[in-house]
Amino acid sequence: MAELSVAELSKDLRAAITRLEHTEGLESVGVVTRVGDGVAWIHGLRDAGYSEVLQIEAPSGIVEAFALNLMEDEIGAVLLGTDAEVSAGNTVRLKGTALVVPVGPELLGRVVDPLGRPLDGAGPIKTKAVGLVEREAIGVMGRKSVHEPLMTGIMAIDAMFPIGRGQRELIIGDRQTGKTALAIDTMINQAKQKTGVVNVYVAIGQKLSKVARLVDRLKAEGVMDQTIIVATSPADPASLLYLAPYAGTAMGEYFRDNKQHALMIYDDLTKHAVAYRQMSLLLRRPPGREAYPGDVFYLHSRLLERSAKLSDALGAGSLTALPIIETQAGDISAYIPTNVISITDGQIFLETDLFYQGIRPAISAGLSVSRVGGAAQTKAVKSVSGNLKLGLSQFRELASFAQFGSDLDESTKSQIERGQRLTELLKQPQYRPASIWEQVASMYAVTNGLFDRVNPSHIKDAQAALLARLSADHTDVVKALETGDKPTDAVLKTIGTAATHVAKGFEGK
Amino acid sequence: MAVKLSRRRITHYVADNLATGTDVHNTLMQLAGYLVDTRRTKELDVIVRDIEYALAERGLVSARVVTAFKLSYVTRQAIEDVINSRKKSHDIQLQHVVDPAVLGGLRLDIPGFRLDTTLAHTLSTLRTNYKK
Repeated sequence: MAELSVAELSKDLRAAITRLEHTEGLESVGVVTRVGDGVAWIHGLRDAGYSEVLQIEAPSGIVEAFALNLMEDEIGAVLLGTDAEVSAGNTVRLKGTALVVPVGPELLGRVVDPLGRPLDGAGPIKTKAVGLVEREAIGVMGRKSVHEPLMTGIMAIDAMFPIGRGQRELIIGDRQTGKTALAIDTMINQAKQKTGVVNVYVAIGQKLSKVARLVDRLKAEGVMDQTIIVATSPADPASLLYLAPYAGTAMGEYFRDNKQHALMIYDDLTKHAVAYRQMSLLLRRPPGREAYPGDVFYLHSRLLERSAKLSDALGAGSLTALPIIETQAGDISAYIPTNVISITDGQIFLETDLFYQGIRPAISAGLSVSRVGGAAQTKAVKSVSGNLKLGLSQFRELASFAQFGSDLDESTKSQIERGQRLTELLKQPQYRPASIWEQVASMYAVTNGLFDRVNPSHIKDAQAALLARLSADHTDVVKALETGDKPTDAVLKTIGTAATHVAKGFEGK
Repeated sequence: MAVKLSRRRITHYVADNLATGTDVHNTLMQLAGYLVDTRRTKELDVIVRDIEYALAERGLVSARVVTAFKLSYVTRQAIEDVINSRKKSHDIQLQHVVDPAVLGGLRLDIPGFRLDTTLAHTLSTLRTNYKK
């Protein structure tokens, strides 16, 4: 028995020598000199590249890391696993590739981590393609201006701050103001309106209970089939939180590059910046403002620049981004908020005060803006939303002044009353995105004064009655509006007649 | 108090002396004294590795081969030939370690490079892939 095993070992050795003679298996190696807080310092590996994947041979198996600090005689690498398994003296190899994640339609309906490993217990994911986690954004000639609408189903957004496919629109606000709710409603709307847009939701350091609730909700709404969730929890190492948005973007880019449309939601980039700050400080990079490293702007700009509307030559696909930023006490002039505001093509600012006044979504008409979405707004919505934003901003200013005085002139009074009705109209319950025809009919009725005799507290009831009436008796109007084209005079007349009838039912209430 | 020198300068000084055979014992004593004086003894392992790299660049290769059982003279010679072809060295110091833990195959370490064809390594890779 012993002789047999020696013979086998001898055979192995001869085979090894044969391979050795070709010297192809000779790999560049280094040694871990220090490790701690998720960072390993490595001696050797002089030919390592930036962001290249390293394999550390720990006793329990191979732990991967990626090189972020390439110094004269040392490499600082961030571990993709727990640092408890790695110890000084472990051998390190170059994997020979940059970080890649699985991409493709096989990921739809799945919850994965930033390395593409399934977290939902639904079995392994076998994709045909992989995508680079860090990839250069598409160039100028490969792009086209934003011109197709991405309907969120939220009337306040679609009417006042329209978003186009390929746009980057920031959702910003304090905690508990409904930022994630806006993003989820937008995802739900893509399924309800059958837009074919694929959703990629990136949870950065979110509680796993929140992610589980989100998955349940998306399944209940029938959205999960066209959604990929990239989840990281606060218990994950900072490296995974840092990689999450890039990995999610790689998954979204697959659809963009294959003539499809994808929507990225980064929830949230504040936690992403904090994770990067942690990594940078541990890598001993010099701290700057608020202890963030000098390249924190580039961290987000290179991520969001990957969202684009591609030219026809490249298939006309698109990647739209809705990054989320959490502010402290409504301070949008802090470091990370100002950075991301300047990178994106507009922002939707959510106010705590409005939220607690019951105005939900709590969108601030004055501080929100969409810089490029106007060109992409659905013609039907554009034709009825007109000066909605201006009217609402003026109303909120007037309303704050009006509470100090009792005598107001007629025009101010009417402006305030119209504003109250508009505010009521734009209130929208969660998970109930409105379709194009619902938005157009509702806004037309209010902005044209057809509901002026309806008490503001009954506006939502009147709106529901109008929509029910149109849906039951005027399916042709509904169909015409759903096309998104500018409504004809006949269509508007029908809506006007129906709204007048409905309004009469609410007079005096 | 001695002036703080970079690791690179220390490495090149020591490697030059070792390569030319200039009073090896004295050079090592100088290095030890310097590291103690500047409280840099923790850097010893890294400096030794740096010196190995520097010596390899000068044609003096210190190699280590680990197998599960003893190597024959012919096998050793074959390994030395391979190192020579790879590193263009004129002096190879091959250290051979028998370690049954590698199970089979061989692991060859030369400064900055490794060839690992051991069964232990193959099993470790398989275990990691299985975990994934």
